[in-house]
Amino acid sequence: MSEFLSKLFSSDFMPHGACYLWRPEIVWLHATSDTVIALSYYLIPIVLIYFVRKRTDLPFNWIFVMFGVFILACGTTHLMEVVTLWDPVYRLSGVIKAFTAVVSIATAVMLVRLIPQALALPSPTQLRTANLKLEREIKERRRVEEALHHAHDELEAKVQERTAQLASTNEELRKQIVERQHAEEALHTAQSQLAHVTRVTSMGELMASIAHEVNQPLSAIVTNGSAAQRWLSAPTPNLEEAKTAITRIIRQGNRASELIKEIRAFVKKSPPQKSRVEINDVIRETVALVSRESLRNHVALQTDLGTDLPALTADRVQLQQVLVNLMMNGIEAMSAIENRSRQLSITSEPQENPDGVLVAVRDSGTGISPQNLERLFETFFTTKTEGMGMGLAIGRSIVKAHGGRLWAEANPDHGATFRFMIPTVGEASP
Amino acid sequence: MSKPESIVYVVDDDESVREAIQSLIRSVGLHVEAFASAQDFLRSKRPDVPGCLVLDIRLPGFSGLQLQRKLADADIKIPIVFMTGHGDIPMTVKAMKAGAVEFLTKPFRDQDLLDAIQQAIETDRSARRERSLTDDLRERYESLTPREREVTRLVVSGLLNKQIAGELGTSEVTVKTQRGQVMQKMGAGSLADLVRMAERLGVRTPKD
Repeated sequence: MSEFLSKLFSSDFMPHGACYLWRPEIVWLHATSDTVIALSYYLIPIVLIYFVRKRTDLPFNWIFVMFGVFILACGTTHLMEVVTLWDPVYRLSGVIKAFTAVVSIATAVMLVRLIPQALALPSPTQLRTANLKLEREIKERRRVEEALHHAHDELEAKVQERTAQLASTNEELRKQIVERQHAEEALHTAQSQLAHVTRVTSMGELMASIAHEVNQPLSAIVTNGSAAQRWLSAPTPNLEEAKTAITRIIRQGNRASELIKEIRAFVKKSPPQKSRVEINDVIRETVALVSRESLRNHVALQTDLGTDLPALTADRVQLQQVLVNLMMNGIEAMSAIENRSRQLSITSEPQENPDGVLVAVRDSGTGISPQNLERLFETFFTTKTEGMGMGLAIGRSIVKAHGGRLWAEANPDHGATFRFMIPTVGEASP
Repeated sequence: MSKPESIVYVVDDDESVREAIQSLIRSVGLHVEAFASAQDFLRSKRPDVPGCLVLDIRLPGFSGLQLQRKLADADIKIPIVFMTGHGDIPMTVKAMKAGAVEFLTKPFRDQDLLDAIQQAIETDRSARRERSLTDDLRERYESLTPREREVTRLVVSGLLNKQIAGELGTSEVTVKTQRGQVMQKMGAGSLADLVRMAERLGVRTPKD
């Protein structure tokens, strides 16, 4: 074997030309024919390779490569035929032939195995039909797509239209809501004004009638006094008439005093409707009641309600009345405050000895002068231009009726704090 | 009981005030009559003497102001002193416009009331005097004959006897006689007197 390989290129045989007896015509016939064949065979794989490289989509392109290699090998065998005419390298030409044979066999085997698959490949006609069909389908699909697109566009437009309608409806609704809110606010204002007017009017009427009732006996007293004076200072004093006038003075004095007693009794008349009351509930309700008023006056309402407060036996409405009055007073006291925050804080805490609750309403308003601290609770005493001077007096009487105490303190910084204490076992103090 | 020189009427629904005012008025020697309501006052028989009405604005039934209007409508001329429990300016204005003498707020100073009463009675007295003078004159004027009234009218319009005669188509002498009758019946001392009387009676002159 090694000898074969080492002598692969040695020319230890007779050149092939010798077989043709060096007859030039036969030698050149073979040489020329083999050369042409070889050249042709070399050209074919180049074309094939070019084809394969261009048509990468082709199935089984490797078979073309195989053909290429096979033909190239065949070409080389023919070239070797030409070479061996003069140079007897039969070993090399044999090896090349053997290689060619192997490639041929491989190609043939592969081709055979490929045939069924190749047959399965659609023919160009089939392809064309399929193509046409596909084209039609594509067209149809495009049409449908377009229709879909169109429909989609229409839908889109409709959606946009609807959205716009919805938006405008929404806008309309929002406007209506705002209007309604305005109307509601106006209504509230009107209501609170009405409530105020009603309160003032009825109080005013009450006051006018009280004033009239008290004024009559006073007026009678003054006139009787004057008459008595005149009867006595006449040149001949008429003692009888003077005495009668004085008797009437006493009677009228008593009448006036009776009237005042009646008014007092009237103020105290309605007995409290006592029930179990959680003071924090009452505070929360009252805060809700005055929250609008406090908002309007830019007053910040704060509550700091204690826990574990004992339940009271009290008149819920009356306590609410006291709280409303204190809170409204606080809000009013701050209406002129501009240079600091307007804060109204309501706190509640438990009390011991006697058991009860302590509620404080603290404002940052104009405050109370020391000489007014107690007078505040007098009936008809007021520091407000529009006040009746009844609120705190009534408040104190309500708290008293619950056995409690209502008082005012000036804050160390600004404003005032009103506190009331109500015991759990309410026993009206005299 | 002899007719008093003047009478003060008091209308107030409050008995205590009524009694007090009565006493005060009596103490200065005036005659006083009191009523609890405007209706009572209207129903009362009032002697024809100078007087005045002390009236509370606030009364049950109809008010003091309504009574004032009612009296004016019925041509009952009596000066009114109003009293009220509280000074109500519009009410005061209304009362004063309608001719009230005074408007007192209770309780008032006794002197204020007495002064007002005195003034009211004086007003009534002179008004009455005026009225009675006119009534008297009217009576005298009524006693004139139609021709004498005609002569009067022409005389007070400033015509001379001759002109009057010409106007009436009679002689100057006849006019002179009739003129003398007129002066005598009317109790006029001079032409000026007669003119004043004619004015008071509202005798229309031809030129009017």
